[in-house]
Amino acid sequence: MPAPVDASAISKKRKSSKNGGAPSSKRRAVAEPDFTETLSTIQDLENQIAESRKHYNNIATLISMLNVEPSAKHPELAVAVSLCRVFTRLIAAGNLTETSRAAENEKIVVAWLKERCLEYQRALMAIMRQADSASQITALTLGMRLVKERTTHLPGADNNVWSSGLFKDIFEAVVEAPAGEDLRSEFVSKFVKEYEDVRYHTFGQISEYAAVKRSSNVLETLIAILSACDEVPAADHEFENFYTQVDTKNKRMASVNSHKKRAQEAWLAILRNNLSQSQRKSLLRIMVHNIEPWFNRPELLMDFLTDSYNVGGATSLLALSGLFYLIQEKNLDYPQFYQKLYSLLDTDLLHSKHRSRFFRLLNTFLSSTHLPAALVASFIKRLSRLALNAPPSAIVVIVPFIYNFFKSHPTCTFMMHRAIRDKQLAANLEAQGMDDPFDPSETDPTRTNAIESSIWEIETLQSHYHPNVAAIARIISEQFTKQAYNLEDFLDHTYQGMIHAELGSEERPMRKTPVVEYQIPKRIFTDRLLEEDGGLDSGAGSFMRGLWDF
Amino acid sequence: MPPSQLKQLKASLRESGVTGPQQSKKQKRQNAKSGVGAQNRNQRNAALQAIRDRFNPFEIKAPTKQSKFDATTRDGGSTTAGRVRPGVTKSLGEEKRRATLLKEINSRNKVGGLVDRRFGENDPTMTPEERAAERFARESQRKMRKESMFNLEDEEDEFQLTHMGQSLDLDQTNRDDFEAGDLEDQESDDDMSRKRKRFIEDDGDMEDLVDDEGEAKPDRKKSKAEVMKEVIAKSKFHKHERQQAKEDDDDLRDELDKELPDLFEALRGIKQPPKPEPAKQDLETMNPDRAALLQEPEKKDTEKEYDQRLKQLTFDKRSKPTDRTKTEEEKAEEEAERLKQLEEDRIRRMRGEQLSDEEEEDQGQDKGSEDEDEDIDDAMAFGLPTNSGQSRLELGVEDEDDFIIDDDLVETRSNVSLSLDESDMEEEELSEEEEREEPDEEDELINGLTLPTHATAGAASTAVEVDQAANGKLAFTYPCPNNHESFLETLKNVPIQDTPTVIQRIRALHHPRLHSDNKAKLGRFAEILVEHVSYMANESEQPPFSIVESILRHVHSLAKMHPVNVAAAFRAHLRKMSQDRPLSLLPGDLVILTGISTVFPTSDHFHAVVTPAHLCLARYLGQCSANTLADFTIGAFATSLCLQYQTASKRYMPEFINYTLNALCNLAPTEPASELGFFPSRTSQDSIRLSSSKKASPRKLHFRDVVASTLDPQAEEDLKVSLVTTFVSLLDSASDVWAEKSAFTEIFSPARAVLRHLRQCFKSKTFAEARDRTQSTLDKLDAHLARARLTRRPLFLHDHRPLAIKSAIPKFEENFNPDKHYDPDRERAESNRLKAEYKRERKGAMRELRKDASFVAREKLREKKERDAEYEKKYKRLVAEIQNEEGRAANDYEREKRLRQGKR
Repeated sequence: MPAPVDASAISKKRKSSKNGGAPSSKRRAVAEPDFTETLSTIQDLENQIAESRKHYNNIATLISMLNVEPSAKHPELAVAVSLCRVFTRLIAAGNLTETSRAAENEKIVVAWLKERCLEYQRALMAIMRQADSASQITALTLGMRLVKERTTHLPGADNNVWSSGLFKDIFEAVVEAPAGEDLRSEFVSKFVKEYEDVRYHTFGQISEYAAVKRSSNVLETLIAILSACDEVPAADHEFENFYTQVDTKNKRMASVNSHKKRAQEAWLAILRNNLSQSQRKSLLRIMVHNIEPWFNRPELLMDFLTDSYNVGGATSLLALSGLFYLIQEKNLDYPQFYQKLYSLLDTDLLHSKHRSRFFRLLNTFLSSTHLPAALVASFIKRLSRLALNAPPSAIVVIVPFIYNFFKSHPTCTFMMHRAIRDKQLAANLEAQGMDDPFDPSETDPTRTNAIESSIWEIETLQSHYHPNVAAIARIISEQFTKQAYNLEDFLDHTYQGMIHAELGSEERPMRKTPVVEYQIPKRIFTDRLLEEDGGLDSGAGSFMRGLWDF
Repeated sequence: MPPSQLKQLKASLRESGVTGPQQSKKQKRQNAKSGVGAQNRNQRNAALQAIRDRFNPFEIKAPTKQSKFDATTRDGGSTTAGRVRPGVTKSLGEEKRRATLLKEINSRNKVGGLVDRRFGENDPTMTPEERAAERFARESQRKMRKESMFNLEDEEDEFQLTHMGQSLDLDQTNRDDFEAGDLEDQESDDDMSRKRKRFIEDDGDMEDLVDDEGEAKPDRKKSKAEVMKEVIAKSKFHKHERQQAKEDDDDLRDELDKELPDLFEALRGIKQPPKPEPAKQDLETMNPDRAALLQEPEKKDTEKEYDQRLKQLTFDKRSKPTDRTKTEEEKAEEEAERLKQLEEDRIRRMRGEQLSDEEEEDQGQDKGSEDEDEDIDDAMAFGLPTNSGQSRLELGVEDEDDFIIDDDLVETRSNVSLSLDESDMEEEELSEEEEREEPDEEDELINGLTLPTHATAGAASTAVEVDQAANGKLAFTYPCPNNHESFLETLKNVPIQDTPTVIQRIRALHHPRLHSDNKAKLGRFAEILVEHVSYMANESEQPPFSIVESILRHVHSLAKMHPVNVAAAFRAHLRKMSQDRPLSLLPGDLVILTGISTVFPTSDHFHAVVTPAHLCLARYLGQCSANTLADFTIGAFATSLCLQYQTASKRYMPEFINYTLNALCNLAPTEPASELGFFPSRTSQDSIRLSSSKKASPRKLHFRDVVASTLDPQAEEDLKVSLVTTFVSLLDSASDVWAEKSAFTEIFSPARAVLRHLRQCFKSKTFAEARDRTQSTLDKLDAHLARARLTRRPLFLHDHRPLAIKSAIPKFEENFNPDKHYDPDRERAESNRLKAEYKRERKGAMRELRKDASFVAREKLREKKERDAEYEKKYKRLVAEIQNEEGRAANDYEREKRLRQGKR
């Protein structure tokens, strides 16, 4: 039964005096080690509230028990939960709605309750921003619970709650919480991905939130939340998973288009923000799979993509796929696309980690047989130039790639095989040799004169140090009997993989006994017995000894 | 409608000329005179027989199965259907058997016999009178020729059989019929199979007939004399030739016989000087009788000796023929040959060609023979002083200097145990075991004293020397470690300079000859040594490199015996390296990589150790961080190693060029204004550029530069400038190595740009030396580039023969024969054919044997019948005789009785 203190806090008029009582209870809660007693106290208070309006003052007591000062690390979660129950009941009972016909004192009570409710919400927000992750998550759940109750039982408050009220607060708290990884992931997995209406409103919140320039950390968070929503509803999707009871007449909530529009707005807001270079790259990376599907009008991405494409380097590589999507689907006209593409074949391309991605696209772009031979030849020549400085994993891609080109553009095969028929020319060649007719500095791939050149580079790579690479390079001097090589098989090789292929993870019995050098050298590091050879160091290892002292 | 049987018979008789118009008496007489009659008679008989056969329906065997559709089956008409005449074939076979098998049976268990080859003996066409006349004519011809008694030539030509120097006077009449060939035939009969012999004899007979008839008959009257002369001359010529050959054979045999004693001696393995033969001359001057007497016992002696030797040989161990000791030149030549072979193998491996199995086998055999050579050397080493030092020089393979590894080399070539030395080996093993039983650690002195005597003969002498040379504190025996920890434990109290000695002693003590387990132990030991090399190099206090070098050389020589173990150890190290620290190599890793370059042939197209090592190096160069000077020093070492790996095979390494140029760009005093080539640039985080103001002199890099240490600014500058010069000289060597590459221009144009930039930077006097280096390299590069431009031609890669377009038309066989097997698998077809042939032959042989058996049985029965009949006849005759006698006696008795009665 009610404790004396509670009894004294019955009257709302004694609100101020109750404030004095609350600290005492809090103190008691802190002082008393007995946790169960605290629990029972809370339970009692809650029950009393449910029992009669006389005990409404208990709400204030409970709120004061919440313990949400910045210094306090451990808010009283049980209190928060019970308060949530209290308010839920009150909202469900309509105690928080003002009726015009109600008596004056009723109105006062309602106003007081609303005030308490706001106070409670603020407390929750504070918890979400400051407390430890478990409390944060609880607070989030409670907050969302309140949102649900409000939207269901307070007619007309619907819009209010989502766009400007409680949900906005929750969202901002979630985004801005300093140590809120768990909170955010909880928010995303439990609410945003689960419930379509929550997602809908989240999109709205994001677009609103990102309308102003934000710091890169915040943007990171927003991107994470947005990219988590990767299930784009199909055109005939029926929205059923609602968190709150949504009016079936609500067209906006039920149409796919409006959802996508919201998402599009959200993404655009982010893309227009001041993104860092790495964010730009990561966005470009998920562009095709995560972003573009949301867009009703993908052409809106055009600016972003062309900007990125012009940045150069890896960013350009990444923008390529999005751009390709636009060109293909939306008939985007990109002037001098191939010239730009050609310029992408630069020194770092083959060493970049987006290499395979680029090659997949390049394969698509150049797969047309209607491309001019001069252009294809330029690409071939340029790639083979690059291969001369490339790691083996890249050479392994380039050679079959070139093979496929030769197969689809037979005009280019002069680059492998050119018989000089003109006697005059042959004599000239014999006397003076020749320079490479290819002009590497020319930016227009149709004017590089590559088709007059030969791919000496690939021929040189036939003597690559790695036997497998050398064997692959040798395909261009054998008969072209194979229709085409499947590029996918060659794309994702690495040094690590190649070494692993050679060494394995553990020693296996060798098929052939390895050959050992038959001559044991007289010296390896030192000048041992040098006078025996007349002081002239030759033989194995003399090169090293010439350069190094040991 | 065919004519009647009678008409047919008449027609055929007329056709074959049996019945014809009557001959006049004159004609008949003429025919009889010239022998035409006999001929005609024979002909007529043959013709009649043929007609009889033709008209006898039982002689012809109908085909077992009537061919159904003559028009469609391929060989319906052409088969011998209806012409199979079993009677004829049977009688033919019978005849043949009678001619061969019967003769054989009759002459079984008999020796000799005469073949009647008298002129015309088996010629049925000749009447006895004709034969006699013919023989007489020949005889008289011969006489005629012989008439001139001064015809010496002819006399000499005449072949005379002699026996023991005396002429064998055969009967004059038989003489010209005799042919040596017959004798030879007889001699070789036993060796030949029966079937074959039949043919030969048939052939022989036929030839005789042809010889006699074919030539003599047609123009008998005119040129009989000439023909006979010719025949005789021919036979004489052949005889002479045969005789000649026989004489040659005899001479040869004699010569061989003379060498027999030498051979015996050679078999016994002792070469004796040729025996002086003084006694023989005495004998020649002596009275022959006396000489004979003197020689008699000697002969007995030799026989005795022969017996003794024979016994010795039977009881002797089976010995192998020894090769004679080779001369120096031969050895050198052989060695050169071996080296050449090895070099060729290396080049083939470099090109990536597979050694075929055959060649490997060949090699195996080669190795085998080498083995034997070495064995013999070894075997001699037990009796003779070893010439190991000499042989080492000749080998050209200088091995661990203080330790005779030649024995090792033997073992590496094959795992076959040396059967020759088994007894010795056993002794050694025994002694080794004894030694083991002795407490190893406790009594060092005893061990020290006993070891030299116990050690292998090869190692013994040198081991002693080494023991004396090294300080006396070292133990003589060390256990063979099982893991690296125990090896470290062993080495704990050993000064680092003596590590090679310890290793050498462990190797000597656990020589695989000494115990069968030692091979495995040493294999493990080799792995530990590899581990130890990297361990030593990683230690903060780096040991002198002469020690590391000597251990590596030990590893190398162990690798010859245990290639798999050593390769596995290296691979394990590489694996650990690539997993734990692919981009930050330790000094130990570098030493291991250097070791790989000497132990294994780096030029191989594929090698289980070298290829991963290459990849590790390339990965490091391609991806490593390049921030500190130490990074660049490691990089410089790695790039030098790369080039070292490629000195022989000259394979292209993109990572090398990338790294070198990048490093030069990073070290250059000023940053290049524009991109100098297609190599990816990675700028270091903190600038390590040469400062253009400080003076710095380049030096040769030292391995300890690899380990990062704090340097004073001047030393740092020195290191920088030496790095630059090293990289420049690396580029210099690389341009030599890859001078022949078709893309030389493309590879080295960026290098030229970088070097020009460097030259630009080094204008100030502080870098005089570096500038000179750069300039000389630049000049060289320019020369190379100019030459590359001169030799550049458009690629001409596809000068292949055009491929045939694949045809989808089924391959039709013309003249398809369903009985023939058109098996596309050549081998299978061949084996099937052989099987079928075998089956057919087998069936044929069985049938023949069966027929032979029945023939033999028949003959036996016939003989028995004959014998029985004879017996019967004899019995009857005897009975009749007795009865006759009895009768006569009875008659006499009767008569006597009657007389007596009459008297009375």
